[in-house]
Amino acid sequence: MTKLKKIAISGGKGGTGKSTIAALMANRLVQEGKRVVLCDCDVECPNDYLLLNQKLSKPKEWIYADYPTLDKRKCNKCGLCVKTCQNNAIFQAKGEYPVFIGDLCSGCGACQLVCPRGAINMKKKKTGEIYQNKIKNQFWLITGLANAGIEETGPTVDKSKQFAINFAVKMNADYILFDTAAGTHCPVISALLDCDFAYIVTEPTPMGAMDLGLILSLCQKLKIPVKIILNQADLGDKKKVEEIIKRYKTKIYKEIPYSKELVEAYSRGRLLETNLIV
Amino acid sequence: MKIVIVSGKGGVGKSMLTSSLALLFSKNRKNIVAVDCDVDAPNLGLWLGVTEYSRVKKVSTSKRAKIINQKFLDDGVLKVCKFGAISKKGKDYKINPFLCEGCGACGIVYPQAVILKSVKNGEIKIVKTKYGFHLIVGQLYPGETGSGKIVSEIKQEAETFKHDLMLIDSAPGTGCPVIAALRDSDFVVLLTEPTSAAFSDVKRVLKVVDYFNIPHRVVINKWDINKNISNKIEKWAGDKFLGKISYDQEIFHAISNLTPIMETNLKAKEEIIQIYNKLILNIK
Repeated sequence: MTKLKKIAISGGKGGTGKSTIAALMANRLVQEGKRVVLCDCDVECPNDYLLLNQKLSKPKEWIYADYPTLDKRKCNKCGLCVKTCQNNAIFQAKGEYPVFIGDLCSGCGACQLVCPRGAINMKKKKTGEIYQNKIKNQFWLITGLANAGIEETGPTVDKSKQFAINFAVKMNADYILFDTAAGTHCPVISALLDCDFAYIVTEPTPMGAMDLGLILSLCQKLKIPVKIILNQADLGDKKKVEEIIKRYKTKIYKEIPYSKELVEAYSRGRLLETNLIV
Repeated sequence: MKIVIVSGKGGVGKSMLTSSLALLFSKNRKNIVAVDCDVDAPNLGLWLGVTEYSRVKKVSTSKRAKIINQKFLDDGVLKVCKFGAISKKGKDYKINPFLCEGCGACGIVYPQAVILKSVKNGEIKIVKTKYGFHLIVGQLYPGETGSGKIVSEIKQEAETFKHDLMLIDSAPGTGCPVIAALRDSDFVVLLTEPTSAAFSDVKRVLKVVDYFNIPHRVVINKWDINKNISNKIEKWAGDKFLGKISYDQEIFHAISNLTPIMETNLKAKEEIIQIYNKLILNIK
């Protein structure tokens, strides 16, 4: 068995074409005879399934996180939990029991650990779901989905990723592609970690260039090699993007021109009906 | 009054719309302040032609665990960390700074081994735009955690400027920076585009908006790239529908020269003015 190759598709800015390129690239590898798992790590807004004309019907697995609950019989209102919580997710009015604010809590468990009276119990709460779709022969999609309103989505990405890697190994896959969210914070970091390299998708605008600089800086810190793809390369002006690329001593790996056919296929969720190869 | 522009999906035109609305509001109201809460990738300034800021404040809204004495640690610490940030290499324990949330759980169980240290994780940038209003931008350094806290911090900073309207550009997604942008807000403009992906994402972020009970209106950008889906979205929005903006490749050129849309003669400009006129009737 050859080693499973782990590739991330990221970009900093939203809407540069990460998911489109991830899906088309996965499809191209499949056409070349490879066995491919595409993992959608944009757990707050996963779209790969829509682009590939799939439905998320029944979760394969559920994702849980721990959240605190208070046992009022044991609590003496000492307030240590309030002081400990780094997320300011515990509120206590003078002389009252502490109240946990669910949408600020990251589920770290520090409050439970610090409570001298054992008054805080962690209870499992469902925070997300993992779906598995077979797109076609040798091509699978794993989708991580965080419940709307969940703050910390990094752990949801971790769990979806781990599920996808285990699945890829079981299926004897050659490639696993991780399509990340926009941005440079926790869920993106979780998706990028441990990848062999990352395709960075950008666009020829000052915004694309600025966000490219941010994601390149992140990849540098994480020590992940990059290959830059300039999407809609013939629109706008690529001068600013080239400046950033020069600063990071790298180069444009590939340019993809604007394609009306692609935009149309994307809007309808029929990417694989195009003849475009990435 | 705080108005937030959200979309779920990235790249649908939040900053384009926010910047345009900021120019329109500032012409008609005395005091507005524009805030870029997309702390991962803040682009609102560029849409306003801003490339330099007059004031930059470093902020420290997150902490990180640091091991100060290995000998007080045991394998139990691996389980204490809910974020998988602690691993064992040989005999030593290591903290992955990219996964550490700075919650301090490890330090509670192993007080002699681990301490929490503050990190400078981002900055707040401030400038008075040539249109007369202030722009407050948050920037989380790449690889740092605590985006939600930086968002709260920039909103607080924005409060210190005299204003009767705060216009907030949110990050994509539905997670912590978006939740922090929505908290305490009065009105939401949901921006989407006629693609199955963007439609699905805007419905997801609406769940978060509804959770906070904030009234909203819907705008469709690039409505003519798929008129069929655009109609569907319009129907879905019903009486919450505010307007639509045409797709125009000229926007790419305008923006490449850092020309705000409201200073062009593009069709989008007229369409945004119509949206603005309808919006002000809704927020009064």
